[in-house]
This record gives sequence, structure tokens and C-alpha cells, in this order.
Amino acid sequence: MTPTLHILLAICLAPALALVLLLIPSRARSLREALAVVAATANLGLVATTFGQQSRIELPWLGTSFDLSLRVYHTASFVTTAAAGFGLLVTLYSLPFMRKHSAHGAHYALMLLSLGMANGAVFSNNLLLLLFFWEGLLGTTYGMIAIGHAGAFKTATKALIISGITDLCLMLGIALVWAQAHTLTMTNLRLPLEGMAPAAFVLLMIGAISKGGSMPFHSWIPDAAVDAPTPFMAFLPASIEKLLGIYLLSRLALDLFELTPQSWLSTLMMVVGSVTILLAVLMALIQKDYKRLLSFHAVSQVGYMILGIGTAVPIGIVGGLFHMINHAMYKSCLFLTGGAVERQAGSTDLASLGGIGRKMPITFACFIVAAASISGVPPFNGFFSKELVYDGALERGTIFYLVAVAGSFLTAASFLKLGHAAFLGPRDKKNDGVREAPGAMLFPMLVIAGFCIFFGVNNAFPIDQLIVPMLPEHLIAEARSAGTHFSGWPSNPTLVAMTAAALLGALINHGFGVKLYGSGLHAADHIHDSPGLRWVYDRAERRWFDPYELFMRGSAYFAQAANKIDRANDWLVVGLGRLAQFASRGVRAAHTGNTSAYIVWSLIAATFIVIYLGQ
Amino acid sequence: MNDAIVEIAMLVTFVLMALWAVLATKLLRAVVALAATSVLVTLLLFRLDSPLAAVFELSVCAGLVSAIFLGAITLTQPENEAEVAVSAKERIRRYWYLPPLLLLLGVALLQVALPDVPTTAAAADDVRKVLWTSRHLDLLGQITVLVAGAFGVIVLFKEARKNER
Amino acid sequence: MLTLFVLVPLLVLLLLNISWRALPRIVPQAAVLVLGFADVVFGLALPTLPVNSEIPVLSELHFGLVADDLTRVFLVSIGLVICAAAFVNQESMTTERAHRNFCSLLLVSLIGMNGAVLLSDFFSLYVFLEVTAIASFILIAIERGIFAVEGAFRYLLLSAVAAMFMLTGVGLMVFTIGDTTFSAVHESLTIANGSPLLLKMAVGIFIIGLFIKGGLVPFHGWLPGAYSSAPPGVSVLLAGIVTKVSGIYALVRIAQDVLVSDPSLSMILLVAGSASIVVGAIAAIGQSDLKRMLAYSSISQVGYIVIALGAGTELGIVAATFHLFNHAIFKSLLFVDSASVESRLGTTDMGKMGGIGAKMPWTGTTTGIAMLSAAGIPPFSGFWSKLLIVLALWKAGREGFAILAVVASVLTLGYFMVMQHRAFFGKPSTQLDSVKEASAGYVVPAVVFALITVLTGVFFPLLKDSPLSFLLLNKGLSW
Repeated sequence: MTPTLHILLAICLAPALALVLLLIPSRARSLREALAVVAATANLGLVATTFGQQSRIELPWLGTSFDLSLRVYHTASFVTTAAAGFGLLVTLYSLPFMRKHSAHGAHYALMLLSLGMANGAVFSNNLLLLLFFWEGLLGTTYGMIAIGHAGAFKTATKALIISGITDLCLMLGIALVWAQAHTLTMTNLRLPLEGMAPAAFVLLMIGAISKGGSMPFHSWIPDAAVDAPTPFMAFLPASIEKLLGIYLLSRLALDLFELTPQSWLSTLMMVVGSVTILLAVLMALIQKDYKRLLSFHAVSQVGYMILGIGTAVPIGIVGGLFHMINHAMYKSCLFLTGGAVERQAGSTDLASLGGIGRKMPITFACFIVAAASISGVPPFNGFFSKELVYDGALERGTIFYLVAVAGSFLTAASFLKLGHAAFLGPRDKKNDGVREAPGAMLFPMLVIAGFCIFFGVNNAFPIDQLIVPMLPEHLIAEARSAGTHFSGWPSNPTLVAMTAAALLGALINHGFGVKLYGSGLHAADHIHDSPGLRWVYDRAERRWFDPYELFMRGSAYFAQAANKIDRANDWLVVGLGRLAQFASRGVRAAHTGNTSAYIVWSLIAATFIVIYLGQ
Repeated sequence: MNDAIVEIAMLVTFVLMALWAVLATKLLRAVVALAATSVLVTLLLFRLDSPLAAVFELSVCAGLVSAIFLGAITLTQPENEAEVAVSAKERIRRYWYLPPLLLLLGVALLQVALPDVPTTAAAADDVRKVLWTSRHLDLLGQITVLVAGAFGVIVLFKEARKNER
Repeated sequence: MLTLFVLVPLLVLLLLNISWRALPRIVPQAAVLVLGFADVVFGLALPTLPVNSEIPVLSELHFGLVADDLTRVFLVSIGLVICAAAFVNQESMTTERAHRNFCSLLLVSLIGMNGAVLLSDFFSLYVFLEVTAIASFILIAIERGIFAVEGAFRYLLLSAVAAMFMLTGVGLMVFTIGDTTFSAVHESLTIANGSPLLLKMAVGIFIIGLFIKGGLVPFHGWLPGAYSSAPPGVSVLLAGIVTKVSGIYALVRIAQDVLVSDPSLSMILLVAGSASIVVGAIAAIGQSDLKRMLAYSSISQVGYIVIALGAGTELGIVAATFHLFNHAIFKSLLFVDSASVESRLGTTDMGKMGGIGAKMPWTGTTTGIAMLSAAGIPPFSGFWSKLLIVLALWKAGREGFAILAVVASVLTLGYFMVMQHRAFFGKPSTQLDSVKEASAGYVVPAVVFALITVLTGVFFPLLKDSPLSFLLLNKGLSW
């Protein structure tokens, strides 16, 4: 197979099969599922075999100067393979989970479509082409949320608007890049940060981190966690969107712009990252719903990646990228356990759960592995990537490091609370009949949990083989000359001690909370109720800090306009339509059917033409 | 000098006739006025040494078009006296702006500076000859116009009368 | 042999009418269909035909007819629309006599249009446009409904005004250079001896007449009434091709061969075009009658063609011609569909149609295709021509007009969505229970036209190198 065909197939095969899938009648659900699994497997095979290849494909488009340019290289192969892997696992997981769902076919079709779009976005070597696939993913996100239940439409619209606005920023950024460099081919871009370039960088960065789910563009994710089907959460916000967002961010920071640690943009990224870590984890701590709690962590963890890449020093970047793949693994695993609990126990409300760990031992075990990973407990993968990020952050400023460690402490605290409230403690009577999830749901969880351990214990493989080759040559050389080595046990024992202290602190804090309130569910309430924080929390729960909600409340006029966008179907007819009808009435009033008037119009216009020509 | 006076007189009459055609309360009078404007245009075209255009204007506009007008008139109901009076007033009120407008447009058109034209028209006779001898296609066209006109009269006139009977 | 395009229909017309007995209905119908089809076939095959080797008897009647790619596009469009009109008419005309008269007048119209697109002289152009126009007056009024007569009458009045302007233009040409052929006028304009200003004004005054015939804003007063009150087959003919040949063809011809990239002509075309686009689209939104709405939409679409010519570049001419072809196809299709709805419901009031799409699936689907094509949605053919128009304007440095064209196509989508919403989608009311799909005479042309729209759109990227490249005038442009 030629490289061109190979790549085009990787982009087009899954969407094409998605269309075929839609043609299968809903009676033949098994056939649909079989096709989805085959397509996801084929997709994984296609992208995995690009490893080690280096090629570029130029497809001229309509004879314009815009070539549709694709590029196969290590980073793209890695990101797409990871995405395809999650795609396959979530497809398997969906088999039992989505079996009875009314939008069965649409779910699989949209998943396959998303996989194709993700491949396209990562293989694009042209920013415009990337934007095309980026927008395509926006569409599938909308669709996958909207099929959740009857009311999910509102959340889907929220996601669409937030991401739509940030994609607009991306578009503007691309336009600025064009104005600056006169090319959109990514391999030809290496912009110094001067003139308009910082503005372009910020706009592109907004597009990237918004896809990653960073604050302040995060607010649809917790809503979607409640409204959308759980496989969607594991699939898009937890893994694929993170991979893509951080992929683009790393390209921006590493290749497209000459970002140095001295640049204010680097500091900006670190600030965004730190704020995201801290605020989102604070919100996560007080959630009373399994999936909603996880979704705030999906926001918080992306802060570590932005912080890591934002440091612009090799060790931080490696940490950020390693954290990207680790997070995709443990967070999707966590969502999958959430889905298993939802399916078996019928609820994700922590108040009605509790004590089901004994009934669902494998799910619980997977949960423990993933939760330990996300909290940064050695020797799981999350520990190593966080240590690398800490190292980078410390190099740039102690304050960033302290925020990151504080985030770690709160993360651990909230997962102790979650695990305690959901799996341990007294069991409600109605949960007595809960049984372990079916094999097709356990298998993906086990695989991912296995990888969490593997990437932790044997971290030299992912770091040296997968992550470090993503860095540009000069950064690798810089790290080598400084004698930094990324893999293996962290080199700075002080940092490890600090982490251990934070984890221990979290454990003690949890014990204290349980003693105070008598239950795992309320173990974090003393933090919620602490002076100062309480005021913030109250307002956060009223969504004072959700930019989308702020925007919605902005003013009566704005609310009205947003409401109209909300009912996007009627909008054209009602709003614009009314204006057009008004204008139309005016035009119609002029057409009285009076022939003489028509002749007079013609003559007047004719006179103007003659006079114009006579000048 | 005389030529100029004649031409100006014809133009003025032309404008008056056109106004009448628009303002006339009865369709029949409007048709007559229109026919008269056609004749005047024809005469003007002849004077401008454009004989062929003149012939066609006469044959197409004054002839056939007026015939079809008459056809249309026979198909519409005449108004009674009271309605005519009302509509006449109505019409004057509606078109009071026409004469000043025409005047204004005329003044505006005068602003268009026409350059002096070399008189290729000197050989007007030659032009006529050339035009008539090399114009077979237009003859074909005119035959078709006549055929079509005949159709119009048959379709709209004859059958209408048949229906009345 | 190009003369045959005019002579054969004329001969057939005479033959059909000298017979002393009433011919069976099928004969005139077949004659029209064969001649229309011949237009399509010969239009497609023109370069392979021995155009210049004259048949002995006919060599006397050469007439200086010429055919280029622009002519071929028009011959094909004329043939297609004439056939569609004949089909629709076959279904909708009730009496034998009306049907026979209709066929004869259709032939007159065909003669006029064939002549108009083949000749190369301003005066002959006027004569043949007049032939077409007279056929149209009678066709509109042929059933003598009160609105139809009024519509025809109004058309006739404004045509008289147009004729006045065109003759004045021709007169001025004869006056200044003593010749009225396109090439002579073009030469005199470029050489600039004598009086280019007066000559230019002559062409300009001729163009005013064309504006009236083509129904551009503000010369469009006759158009909505004429289109909407005419019998169904006539609406197809008028909207599909007659106004395009009588108004727009000559504008394209002038832009291509006479006033080549003239800035003042460009400005006039741009202003008239954008006024038509906007006013037509806005007026269309408020219509409750399907045919009236399509009529205003025609004004808007013609505006697109004219604005493309206003770019003043070769690409602009290509875009205008291609949009003209597409418009002929999709607008005829829409009128055919409105005719099939009318045949079943007896009305074209959209308020009474709600949900008719479910009852008449073919009609509903083809209308949807035509509408998407008109609004410029890929992959239908209308998308490509609108893209070319916008590109042409942009490249010519008319960015403002390009943006206007894009924004106005949102309006287009708007009024067509209003139409679909009111007429075709939704739940059919109980009054429509007995309604069935229209008869084959309507469905066949509709499906054929829908196929043309879809295929031209889908295969557009290949069009440039295919035998059909004449649709893009073989200019070999890259964009």
C-alpha cells in the first residue's frame, strides 16, 4: 500500500463505514455492533502500522495555492494510535452499555466519524485542513451529547457554542499566521514571537486548550457527564479530545512558534494551567455525583499538561506529554468504572451508592488502580508524569510547583472520598442485588488498568520510545547536555518526599473528615465549609464562575439572543425571518401592480444609466 | 435651423403623446396615443437616417402591438361613467409628479455632453441599400413576427368572439 | 447549415398550420419534442458537424450565422426547456385547439431564440427577440384568464418600452458607424477613431432594453405577474429560458464580444445585479404564492448572473454562463414541480399545501434538490457556479460585491426554507388525503432535470476536461 493510500484510508475508512452502519436497520443491532468493532479494529491497524514511517502527501486542491497536505511522522502515529486504541476499547465497552439505547446506530456512527476526524486532524500538515477536522469533531461532539436523552440537547448546544467560539479563535489565529508567514503548511512554519505572532499564538492556544477542556472553556464537560451516555465521556472528553488538544498545544509550543522559557506566553500558559488545576479540583472535591466528580478531574488534570508544556523546559514538556497519555488512560478507565456502576446499580448519585465494592470486585480493583494513578501514587504511571511536571514547574517558579502539589493533595482527597462513598461503607438494601458488570465492559477496563501499571513500572518504555522522540532535536540535545534523564525513578528525592507528604496528608485529612461527619460521602465537607472557601463554593455552585452561564445572564438582551441560538431550528425563521419578512413587506408594498409605476421606475433607472455613460 | 425646429417640435409632441398615453382614462385613447408616439418615433428615426429601424418600429409597434392591445381591450370590461370620473381624478392625483419629473430628466440629460459626430450618415442612400440587401435574416424574422401576430389575433380575438356568440 | 436551426422550425410551423384537417394531438407535440431534442443534440455535437460546408440550396441563405461555445450552452438549454414545457403543456392544456396553438407558439418561440443565439448583429438580435416576445405575450394570455391577460398586457407594455430603447440604440449605431454587427461595433470602440462615447452610449441604451427584457431590478415590474399568471407550461418556458435568452444572453454576448472589460459597463452591471439579488430575494421571502415566489427568486438569480458579468473578466463570463445553464435547469425544474402541485391541488397557494411532500414524494424530492442547488449548497451544480461567481468577483477586486453575493445566498436559502417549511414538509393535512403523485408528464422532466443538477454538481471537478467542457466555454481557466 502506498503511503498516500494508507493515510487516506486511515482518514476515510472509519467515516465511510459509519455511513454504511447508518444504513443497517435498527433490527439488526448485532450487525451494527459487529461492523463498529471491525471498523474500530481496522482503524487501529491502519494507524498503528504508520509507526516508524516518515512521509508527506500533497494533494492539490482546485488549483489554488492551498494544498491539502498530510504528514506521517512519529508524533502523529503515536497520537492516532492512542486515539484508535481508546476508540476500540470504548466500542467494546459500548456493546452491552448501549445495547438498548434508542440512538444505538447514531452512537457507533458518530464514534467512527470522530475517529476519522481525529486521524485527519493529527495527520494534517496544513492548519486549514486541521481546522476542517477540528470543526468536524465539534459536530460529532454535539451529536454524541445530544443523543443522551431528551433534555441533553441543551447541554449539547452549550458545548457547541463554547467550542464554536473557541474554534472561531482558532480560525482567527490561523488567519493571523497566514498574514504573518504566508503559508499554512505546518512543517514550513517556525514563527518568532514578535509582531502579530503572540496574538496568533494566544488565539491558537485558546483553540487547543479548549479542545483539551481547560478552564475557562470547561463548563460544558460536567454537564455532559450527567446528560451524555457514559461511553461518550470516556471516549471524547477523557481521551480523544485531550489527546488532540494537547497534541496541538505541543505543536504550537514546540514547532510552530519559537517559544522560550523567557517568553511571557510561557508564563501565561503556566498560569492558565495552575488556575485550572486548582479551581477544577476544588470543584471536584465537593461533587456528589460519580460522573460529575470525574468530569471536574478531567478539567483539572489538563491543567498539569498545560503547566508542563508551558514551562518550555524539556523536563516539563516531557512530563506534560507523558501526562497526556497517562491521563487519557486512567480517566477513561475511571469513566468506564462509572459507567459500569451506573449500569449495574442504576445510579451514579453517591448518596445512594456505597458498599458495592464487594459486589463488583473487578470494577473496584480497576478503580483503585486508576484512582491511584490519577492521585500520583507510586508506582503507577500518574506518579511519574506528575513528578516530571513538578520538576519543570519548580525550575520556573516555586509558586507553580506549590499549586501543582496542592492540586495533587486535593485530587487524592477527592478520590479517597469517591472510593469510600461508592465502593466502601454501609450498603443500601436496594443495592444488595448488584452484580459484576459483563465481560465486554470489564475487558476494556482491565486492559487500561494494566497499561496504567505497565506505563508506571516500566516507564522507560513509554518515555524513551514514545514521548521523547516527539520533542524537536534541539530540546533533546539540550536535555542531554544538561545530563537530564527522564525515565526511571525521579532524580530529586525532595520532590518525592513532598509528594509523599501530600498523599499522606490527604489520607489523614480523609480520616479526619470521616470522623467528623461519620461517612465517606461527607469526608470533604470540612473543606467545603472552611471560612473563605465556603463563600467561593456557594457562588461556584450557583455557577458564578461558569463563563457560559455568565454570558447567558449577561443581560436581558444577551439572554434573549442566546435563547434564540438555543432553539437553533427556529432561529432562522423567527429572528432573521421576521426581519426579512418586514423588509419583504416593504418591497411588496412597492409592487402595487401599477403598470405605469413600473414603467416610470424603468425610465428613471434608464436615465441614470444614460447619464452615467455620458459622464 | 428649420430642421432643428421641426425636430424639437416633434420631440415635444412625442413627450406630450407619451404623457397622454399614460394619463388617458380610456384604454382606447391610450392605444391611440401610443400609436401616435410610435409614428413620431418612426419619423424621428427616419430623420436620424436610420430608416430600417424606423420601418420596424412602425411595423412592430404601431401595427402589431396596437392590434394586440385592441385584443386585450375587447377582453376587459368597460368601466361605467362614475368609475371613469373617479379614476380620472385618481390618476391625475397619482401622476401629478410626472410632468416635472420629465422636465427634470430632460434637463439632466442635457448635461450629458454629446461630442460632435462625424457624419458617416452622409452616405445615407448607400446605407439604406446595404441594409436592405444584406438583411435576409431580418426578413425571415419579420415573417415570423407576422406569423406570430396572426396567431395572436386568431387565438385571442377570433376565439373570444366565438365564445361571445 | 446553421440556418437550419431557424428554417426547419419555420417550415414545420407552416406545415403544421396549412393542413386543412385538424391533426391528431400527437403530431404537433412530437414536432416540438423532436425539434427541441435536435437543439440539444446539435448543440452538443456542433464542433463535429460540417458547419462551414454549405448545402448547395442553402448557401444562398447563409445570413452570417455563427456559433461558439456560448451559443452551444444556450442551444442545449433552449432544447431542454422547450421539451420540458411541451411535456408539462401536454398534461395541463385541456382543449385540443389550445394545445395545438400552444405547440405552434412554442415553435415560434424556438425560432426566435435559436435565431437570437446564432446571429451576430444588434438589429437582427432585436428582431428575433421581438419574435420571442410576441410569442410570449400570446402564450401568457392564451387561456384568457383575467390575471393572465393583465400579466401579458403589462409584459407587452414594458416590452414596448424595451423595444424603444433597443431601437434607439441601434439607430445611434447606424448613425455613428453605419454598421450594427458585433464585430464592427467592437472594432470601432477599440480603435477609437470617430466617436466611441456616442457608440458606447448606443450600446448602453441597447442594454437598458435588455435589462427590461431580462427583468432586472428596477426594470422587473412585469415579471412576477407574467410568470405567476401564465399557464404552467408557459411559466416553465418563460422562467427557464425565454427571459434568459432575450435579456441575459445578449448581455453575455456584449460582455464577451463587444464591450470587453469596460469599467463603466461593469459598474452598471454590478449595481443592477446586486439590486436584483437583494430586492428579488427579499421580495421572495414574503410571498405566499409558490409561483410568485419562484418568479422573485428568478429575479434574484438573474442578478447573480449579471453581477458575475460585472466582474469584467473571462472568469466572470464563464461563471455567468455556467450559472445561467444551472439556473435554466433548476428554475425550470421548480416550475415543473409547481405545475405538478397545481395539477393536483388546483392552486399554488403555499398555505394550502402543508406537507404535500409526503403525498408527492418525487415532486417533493426534486424540489428539494433544485432548492439546494439554487441556494448554492454543495454538491449540487448551483454551488459551483456561485463559487465561480464569488471567485470571479473577488479576483476582479470587487470584494464588496463578492461578500454581498455570499450573504444574499443565505437569503436564498432562507426563502426556500420558508417554502419547504410551508409547502412540502410537515404533516399533510386531512384535506390532502386523496392527493397522489403527479402524472408522468410532470415527473419525467422533473427527474431528468434533477439528475442533470446532481450529476453536473458531483462531476464538476471533471467537467473541465470532459466533452462537456463547453459549459465552461473552454476557456481553460484556473482558479
